[in-house]
Amino acid sequence: MIVAERKPFDEILEMLAPYKRVLVLACGGCVTVCLTGGEKQADELASQLRLAARQKGMDLTVESDSITRQCDREFIEDLKTDPGQYDAVLSMACGVGVGFMSELYPETPFLPALNTTFYGANTAPGAWAEYCRGCGDCVLAWTGGICPVARCSKSLINGTCGGTNDGKCEVDSEMDCAWLLIYKRLKELGRLDEYRKIRPPRDHRTDRGRGVRRLVHEEMVELEEEESKA
Amino acid sequence: MRDGDLTSRDVATLPSTCELMEREWAPCRHACPVHADVRGYIEAIAQGRWRDATDLIRDNLPFAVVCGRICHHPCEANCRRRDVDEALAIRELKRFVVELQGAEGATVHKAASQDKARVAVVGAGPAGMSAALDLAKMGYRPTVFEKFPVAGGIPATAVPKYRLPREALQIDIDWICAHGVELATGLEIGKDKTIDDLLAEGFEAVVVAAGLAKSRLLPMPGADHQRVYPALEFLTDVSFDHPVDLGQDVLVVGGGNVAVDAARSAVRLGAGRVRMMCLETPEEMPAYEWEQQEAQEEGIEFIHRRGPIEILLRQGQIVGVKARAVTRVFDENERFDPQYDDSDVIELACDTVIMAIGQAADMGFVEGSSLKQDDRGRLVYDAATQQASLPGVFACGEIVTPPGSAVEACASGQRAAVAVDLFLRGQEIRIDDSLPPEIDCIAEGTAEKVINVSREPVEAVPPQTRLKTFGPIDKTLAQEAALRESRRCMNCGAGAEVLVDKCAACLTCLRVCPFDIPKVTDVARIDSSLCQACGMCIAECPAGAIIARGWDARGLPARIGAALASAASDGHAKIVAFICGHHASAADWRGEREPVAGVAEVYLPSVARLSVSDLLAAFEKGADRVLVVACHEGADRYPQATRRISRRVDQARQLLAEVGLDPDCLRMLELADENREAVHPALVAAAGTLPAG
Repeated sequence: MIVAERKPFDEILEMLAPYKRVLVLACGGCVTVCLTGGEKQADELASQLRLAARQKGMDLTVESDSITRQCDREFIEDLKTDPGQYDAVLSMACGVGVGFMSELYPETPFLPALNTTFYGANTAPGAWAEYCRGCGDCVLAWTGGICPVARCSKSLINGTCGGTNDGKCEVDSEMDCAWLLIYKRLKELGRLDEYRKIRPPRDHRTDRGRGVRRLVHEEMVELEEEESKA
Repeated sequence: MRDGDLTSRDVATLPSTCELMEREWAPCRHACPVHADVRGYIEAIAQGRWRDATDLIRDNLPFAVVCGRICHHPCEANCRRRDVDEALAIRELKRFVVELQGAEGATVHKAASQDKARVAVVGAGPAGMSAALDLAKMGYRPTVFEKFPVAGGIPATAVPKYRLPREALQIDIDWICAHGVELATGLEIGKDKTIDDLLAEGFEAVVVAAGLAKSRLLPMPGADHQRVYPALEFLTDVSFDHPVDLGQDVLVVGGGNVAVDAARSAVRLGAGRVRMMCLETPEEMPAYEWEQQEAQEEGIEFIHRRGPIEILLRQGQIVGVKARAVTRVFDENERFDPQYDDSDVIELACDTVIMAIGQAADMGFVEGSSLKQDDRGRLVYDAATQQASLPGVFACGEIVTPPGSAVEACASGQRAAVAVDLFLRGQEIRIDDSLPPEIDCIAEGTAEKVINVSREPVEAVPPQTRLKTFGPIDKTLAQEAALRESRRCMNCGAGAEVLVDKCAACLTCLRVCPFDIPKVTDVARIDSSLCQACGMCIAECPAGAIIARGWDARGLPARIGAALASAASDGHAKIVAFICGHHASAADWRGEREPVAGVAEVYLPSVARLSVSDLLAAFEKGADRVLVVACHEGADRYPQATRRISRRVDQARQLLAEVGLDPDCLRMLELADENREAVHPALVAAAGTLPAG
């Protein structure tokens, strides 16, 4: 899932400076699960903004609402408020939600309350860690399920490099060397043969090399759309 | 979606989430014949809301005082706390609050206009008075005819005063009559007036609630002796302080509660020896276990498995009872079918016999009317419509139901009132007796996690003192004990409900529940039969997808605002103090405490329910400072509550700091489990030392 962090409060306040009437819009998807952008956090942020407005003598009205996901248009029907009626919407969604909602409401500024940080898993109650970078060319089959693209500082696909140091990365002494982890894991699995293979350079066209990536399942394209093409 | 799944749209249309309490009933309410909202009134007691508690009880139970004293309390027998430690003392709590409030302290729900048909009720016992009350509330004009000079039925004429003081009973009668129920006492239907007379006089319906007013007797030699007393007549004489010619050696025949009442009354009248003889073994005896025990404490001996065959007379005086052995009481289908061994006969010495082998209807009310009786002399009656054989004549209570307790008679009377109303409105008499489903047993794993709290003992009058008088045998719970006892209630059915459309299956509820109840499948599933209603998951759910059935969290900001408005703030900072009220006095809850200048005290059953948003809301409502007064770790009613709220306070302090407010404007104290003498100075000190906002 997508993990995000709340932006610093001052940055949010600065974003909202031109606006008087703001909707804080929670997203019930990934950011709810990582306890950053759910209805509870939206209510808390709205409350903080109202308190700050009072504290600083700002003319700012803040309300809040929530939606099942900000990355699917159908759910906007369930909104109790009309985002178009606000000067700006402070979205508690990941960057996907902010961008998508901006398209749906071209007249209304959608502002990010969060910094979208990574694709991660919940490693312990209250804790998330990055496991994937979304490179579009998955190598996990021969790296023992440990992603060198996401977890190696250099995203090397043939490691380790010379910067590995007692199992830690030269970039940060607190950070595990991903390639050492891969080596140990493959050894456990009895698959060091995979480690010994030299891999050709990655195809960066699947990453961001060719602009916006898209996915279309032809079987699910709306029938009307198919007819109009014909 | 599964059947019964709730969505945010469902809840948005509800005036209060408390309406969801009707989705399932706790077993206490389910088992109560009148389905009183037990959890509701126990919670009101726990918060010192005496009048609310009394009104909630009386909404369903007109004979609240009577039942507070003598009810067989099926609520307690079904209390889910039994699987944790001991049942809640529901009857004692009821007694405490309804007698404290009296008739004046209970709201009278009088009909806006009482101008509908006149209805006659025969018999002023629990069934008849309950029917009359409900009819009066609907706007009918009921008159209750009672052959005795007082209203109340068996509770007034036969229940011993040591179990039910008559001034206590009068509270119920006065409250019922305040609704416009007219009483005509000392007037016997079938003798002074007939049912046909009533119908001719303009009563458009008649409700017969004559009860079981006669004792059954056993034909045997000597049974017509003047010192052979039918138990009910004996108890009635004692009730009205009529002189009773009682000897020194009394034998009560029978093993039920009436037999115990008769025996214990005989002890109080000064009999030298009182024995009870019954067909049953101690285990088979129908008398309640506690009645048997109290009787034994008063020196009453029990003779089991004996049936009388002759009352022995010598020179016109009773000298004993000849009794044979009983080989069995019930047949293989558990039907009453006693068998005897005639070769085993003993003689028991006595000079007085009280026959308490069962009750029978006094069918005198039929006299002069065309009401039909069946071949066994019983009133012909349709249980579904409660109609007797004459149009407009209904029946309720023990005259038509199996013998039961006062609360069952009330339920029967209430149902009759519904039938009468349908009849008088010209509608088909069809009554829906279905009930919401009952909450299941508490699972062992959950019961183990509930903090054990002992049931408050009821102070009994020592046997040597009590057997000399007809004064009460035990004492009403003191206020402090009542508060402690009421706070043992587990709030069954008042807990969490997941709004499936909002749940993100994030697992937070599962992680914060101190009872390990939520399961996350497609969405979070919180089993209402296990949920302890602590509110922990509600405060933490990031999706706002969990609500409580028993309280509406949407109401808290308004409460904060009202508390702030009423707190004196003559130059002092405005402070909101959220205080755990689990150990607080009734005066604290009721606001009858010495105020701390500028401090608005908001009492909660536990601070486990307070969310970060609630804390921020207090500042938004105008508080300069906010205090959370929690219990010491381990003293809250819920495990982990203090640690959880401490983390929320820390989180809220960070959010305040971001806004530019001093985080020290929000503080937590751990002393709510101490008394007011500790809380008050702490509030004063905090009010003086917290920085200005």
